[in-house]
Amino acid sequence: MIQKKICMVGVFGTGKTCLVQQYVHSIFSVKYLSTVGVKIDRKEVKVGDTDMMLMLWDLEGRDGTRDITTSYLRGAHGVIFVADGTRKETVDQLSDLRKIVVDAVGPVPAIVALNKSDLAEEWKLSSSDEAAAGGEGVHRLKTSAKTGQGVEDAFQWLAEATLSAPEKTR
Amino acid sequence: MTFEPSETPANGEEPDAQFDALRKLLLGPEQERIEELSEELHSRELTPEELAEKLPEAIALSGSRDDQLGRALGPTIDTALRESIRRDPQEMASAIFPVLGPAIRKAIAETMASLVRSINNAVEQSLSIDGMKWRIEAWRTGIPFPEIVIKHALVYRVEQAFLVHAETGLLLEHVAASDLSVPDADLISSMLSAIQDFVRDSFHPGEGGMLRTFSVGDHTVQVEAGPRALLAVVIKGQAPDEVLRRQQNVLETVHLEFAGPLADFNGDAAPFVPARPLLEDCLETVLSTQTKKKGKGVWLRWAIPLAVVLIAVATMWIRSSMRWNRSLEALRAEPGIVVVDADRGFGIWNISGLRDPAARDPRAVLAGIGVSPAELDGKWEGYLSLNPVMVAARARRAADSLKTSIERDRIYFAAGSSALDQSALATLTSLSARYRQLETAATESGSAVKLELTGRTDPSGRDQTNAALAEQRPAVVARWLESSGIPAARITQNPIATASPLTSPDSAEQARINRSVSFRVMMTPPSPASGRK
Repeated sequence: MIQKKICMVGVFGTGKTCLVQQYVHSIFSVKYLSTVGVKIDRKEVKVGDTDMMLMLWDLEGRDGTRDITTSYLRGAHGVIFVADGTRKETVDQLSDLRKIVVDAVGPVPAIVALNKSDLAEEWKLSSSDEAAAGGEGVHRLKTSAKTGQGVEDAFQWLAEATLSAPEKTR
Repeated sequence: MTFEPSETPANGEEPDAQFDALRKLLLGPEQERIEELSEELHSRELTPEELAEKLPEAIALSGSRDDQLGRALGPTIDTALRESIRRDPQEMASAIFPVLGPAIRKAIAETMASLVRSINNAVEQSLSIDGMKWRIEAWRTGIPFPEIVIKHALVYRVEQAFLVHAETGLLLEHVAASDLSVPDADLISSMLSAIQDFVRDSFHPGEGGMLRTFSVGDHTVQVEAGPRALLAVVIKGQAPDEVLRRQQNVLETVHLEFAGPLADFNGDAAPFVPARPLLEDCLETVLSTQTKKKGKGVWLRWAIPLAVVLIAVATMWIRSSMRWNRSLEALRAEPGIVVVDADRGFGIWNISGLRDPAARDPRAVLAGIGVSPAELDGKWEGYLSLNPVMVAARARRAADSLKTSIERDRIYFAAGSSALDQSALATLTSLSARYRQLETAATESGSAVKLELTGRTDPSGRDQTNAALAEQRPAVVARWLESSGIPAARITQNPIATASPLTSPDSAEQARINRSVSFRVMMTPPSPASGRK
């Protein structure tokens, strides 16, 4: 069983936690996010014949904004950035977040989840906004915690990406 | 144009071609030979001899480069082994026996040792007062006994061990006590490492600072960190420093033995499966019976003398009982003794019953079997036993007393006479009667009786006269006794005259007592069988 450490980062209120809640196995309560600043869940995926276990580190800024604890990023094999498609500023903040992450763990496979895609009327992103979200070298997906759109795809893509990623050199 | 042939090259052909032609002309056969040799050299295969020389070197070289050779040879070796075993299993068995034997012995020895340990523990717990109390509690509450033991006697138990990759927090390996199920060890592992980060970030403990222990209820989590991995153990109860030392040792060993996999770790925990036994070394359960050596010592200090005293008392009691039983048996088997009542008191044996006067003294009977009771008390009533042995014994006693009485009698004569006077006749009458009684008693006891008459004279007078008198006197007595009914065959006469005189201080008296016939009763001893008929 291959295990990978995946960090989920996003601005407060982007629905990051809700996004994965029903797709993962969890034993820790959401309270961990506001107390310890991290909540760890498990997601099993299959890539080809390989069973994989993604350990999802759901990171929360301690003061509820963009400030995340970089220690928790250490050793991450992949990152899920979550932004709220109905609040453009959360998308704008992604590039700052991404910089923090890359500084901490290097250019690991990353995916940007543009969440709340079910709220089409409130959607604030143009297609060019969507294409640029998070900057260069990330995979992008529209997701919905409500309908489940894109969630499994996001895990699957990231699992494959971490599996085929070159071994980290340190 | 006679020069034409020789001029042809100069006219039309190139100089190289000319040279070639010349070379072919001069070295043709040698050139062909060289080509043959060259071809042979390239196409030729190694001879077996050459191969044998090169092979070891080639294998060593290949082995040092990579493991391709091993992979290539693997299937062949497998097939060869299988074939060899199929053809002659015995040979393979002999070959691996020296390896297998010690391994099996070691495994058995370890199994036995652990069995003995668990039996010891079980016995200790079952026999102690606590053990009894716990059994009652288990029976009363319906909770299984082992759980009750752990509840009361548990000092500590190392229940789980997590080997965690330091950087990613991913679980490398996890072991837990057999009765625990931990399905989310990987989540716990990640969270453990997250909490490490949290504490470090919150309190800035400086280089190498970390959360080493934390307690929740009666559980303690003890974390040791190495450069590439953490080892966390979950302990129930109060663990001694020993546990920490073992944990550190295990973590060091893991870093040593798994240095490569730890450095190259990229999410695949499979290379760490061999670390399981190491982690299992951390797990243990210590119950109070195992640690309370002091308490056990106190028990032992008392138990040993107590056991010695108990054994001594028991031995004495058993030996005394055996002596008592043997004594009673001997008394019961003794002819002429009937044991009616036997009571073994402290120091005094009260044995009462019936005893034939002719029977042996009970004390003598016991002495005969090597038992000498300090005090043998009891009343013995007289009785006559009909036991043939006793009948014979009684008869022998009677015969003995009659014999003594007969041998005391003498028949006296006047000087120079062999006539029986009045007193002699009275003595003979009585003697004859006693002799017949004696004969009856002797027959009962299985003996035969003879009566010897010794005739004496006083020294006065001529020897010839005395010799004649010494013959006449027993003859007269014998005749009288025969006439009284004693068979002549039973009587022998022994005329000794003055040969062996009876003595007395008074010379007149000595002369008188020697003018006599005296008696000796000769009893042949009973044959062993005759008395027990």
